Amino acid sequence: MRSLGRLSTTIPLVLSTILIPLTVALAFWWTPEDFDQGLSQKIFYFHVPIALTSYVAFAFGAFSAAMYLWKRTEVWDLRSYVGVHSGTIWGTLVLLTGPIWAKASWGVWWNWGDRQINVFLILFLYYCAYFMLRFSLDEGERRRSASAVFALLGVGLIPLSFLAVRIAQTLIHPVVFTSDGAAMPNSFLLTFVVGFAGMLSLMVLLISTEMRGKRTAARVLQLQRVARGEDA
Amino acid sequence: MIPAALAIARVKFVLELRRREVIFAMLLFIAATIVIVHFALSGDTGAGSRAAAGMLWAAVVFTAVLGLLRTFAAEQEEGALDALLLAPIDRAAIWIGAALAQFGFLVVVEVVAVPVWWVLFFQAGGPSIGTVVVALLLANVGIALVGTLAAALALGARTRDVLLPVLVLPLVIPIVLAGVTATYGAFGEEVGGFRPLGFLALYDLVFAALAWGTSEHLLGD
Amino acid sequence: MEPPVVTLTECSKRFGDRLALRKATLTVAPGETIVLLGPNGAGKSTLLRLVAGLLRPTAGSARIAGVDATSAPRSLRAGIAYAGHRSQLYRGLTARENLELHAGLHGQRDLDVTALLNHVGLGDRADEYIDGFSRGMLQRLALARATAHQPALLLLDEPASGLDADGRLLLDATLRAGLGTRTQLVASHDDELPARLGARAVHLSAGSLA
Repeated sequence: MRSLGRLSTTIPLVLSTILIPLTVALAFWWTPEDFDQGLSQKIFYFHVPIALTSYVAFAFGAFSAAMYLWKRTEVWDLRSYVGVHSGTIWGTLVLLTGPIWAKASWGVWWNWGDRQINVFLILFLYYCAYFMLRFSLDEGERRRSASAVFALLGVGLIPLSFLAVRIAQTLIHPVVFTSDGAAMPNSFLLTFVVGFAGMLSLMVLLISTEMRGKRTAARVLQLQRVARGEDA
Repeated sequence: MIPAALAIARVKFVLELRRREVIFAMLLFIAATIVIVHFALSGDTGAGSRAAAGMLWAAVVFTAVLGLLRTFAAEQEEGALDALLLAPIDRAAIWIGAALAQFGFLVVVEVVAVPVWWVLFFQAGGPSIGTVVVALLLANVGIALVGTLAAALALGARTRDVLLPVLVLPLVIPIVLAGVTATYGAFGEEVGGFRPLGFLALYDLVFAALAWGTSEHLLGD
Repeated sequence: MEPPVVTLTECSKRFGDRLALRKATLTVAPGETIVLLGPNGAGKSTLLRLVAGLLRPTAGSARIAGVDATSAPRSLRAGIAYAGHRSQLYRGLTARENLELHAGLHGQRDLDVTALLNHVGLGDRADEYIDGFSRGMLQRLALARATAHQPALLLLDEPASGLDADGRLLLDATLRAGLGTRTQLVASHDDELPARLGARAVHLSAGSLA
């Protein structure tokens, strides 16, 4: 168990240390400059993988929430919280890198016609509310259930926000992937995949590290209670 | 399940008729919100029809949150929620009954507010009223479902009243987006016909399903 | 419904940092009446709410007829009654309306509400809003509500608080009528109640069963 716990941080640590610098190298020295957007397009290899990775973290949070409601074991509550927490941190990065790209390609910091970033804005507000809910409830079963139910609502909110923004807006994000497949040279695609894998490993590293911290804290609390003679 | 939900909703209507705690407050609030948004925008496009459509939706959502703050108030006074939880009824009935009452309150408020809004801003050349009514009804269902759910989640919280708007508003942004689009469409603009209405119906279904699936975990500790 | 067995196994409940109930193990046989005694804050209310399934144990389990109390199916909940510190009634409804609502939710179409109100001595106040009721009157009405559906498991939390002498006689009679025919758990400060009922007394202090 101990060695497994170590592996779950060592492997992503190694992977992300290799893959993220590799993405930088590939993006700047290997992929050709974008025809349209020039150098500013390079942020694509970071902005989009970060966004996709934060969706993965939110999905992990929602999955763990469902598992908590099913199994009722504290560890699934912690996983759900850590998933949402990491997703929100990465969401902040999306909201920071998005405007940089927007400024470079459209000349404005915020483009209300850009679908993805506006969906992110909704999700960011929603997941911030998750923390408010969680921290205004006392530690215990009620907090765990309420957090889990709220995290699960994201499963509905994410696709519905996409749809709603799509219905309401006509301006479109620069489309790099189209429905016919990736409309870009192989070097673009490969760099993107390396970037995505790198960000995913970093996310796994963050989640497993935070989980270790949380579990240690829970164990310490438990030991303190035993020391007080409460043995539960 | 349905009889139990109706019985719970009925109690809430009876209490509202006797105490008049929620609906009058909601009416004054929606009026004040529309007036404030109008004046806030009047330097710019305040007189424009698009701004008028938007301010209706903003006002409806904020007013709904005001009503939601009292959702389980009557159950909390004397702990009636415990009796409901122990009654041999589907626990979803408690939440559906509360949502039904919220839906009803919203409809009553809109029956008064929407005609006034219409007269203030359009008189002639307004959006087609049928579309707006259907959009509002669908939106009311969604707001009532999601709002009651959030109210149930916030029940045990120390800062329930501050928390509830923060929980509800991000969840209803898609409703506002679709509602506003439907209202623009009702001016005869080209914005995808029935798509926003279809979206509102889909929203209601998705959150009804999610709330149904989690209703066992909503109430009680 | 047959009176059910109630079993608590190493049942603990924690609120934040406070351990309200600590590894309680208790079996209430079908039809048995138990009086829970102990000072304020000993964990009596927590124990009753755990048995009612209104609280989820932090550790251990609370079971009614072998089923986890928090997930008791409707058929089982139909036979459970719990009256706590608060009356669990709607203040804006009359006494009669409150009982009618309760009967409706329990599927009792033919409940004689007037007779029940007369029985608990509230016949002449039946159509008043309970807003104006005194503590003792609310307690009487809560007792009527809790027993209206003939529960097989009756959980009462300090039911005598606020009751006058007549009210206490009514309460004793209600509990006595249930002896042997339903499982009863009563939290009380009345040290003589177990002897009066011929019931087992269980002592709680600082969250632990004695």
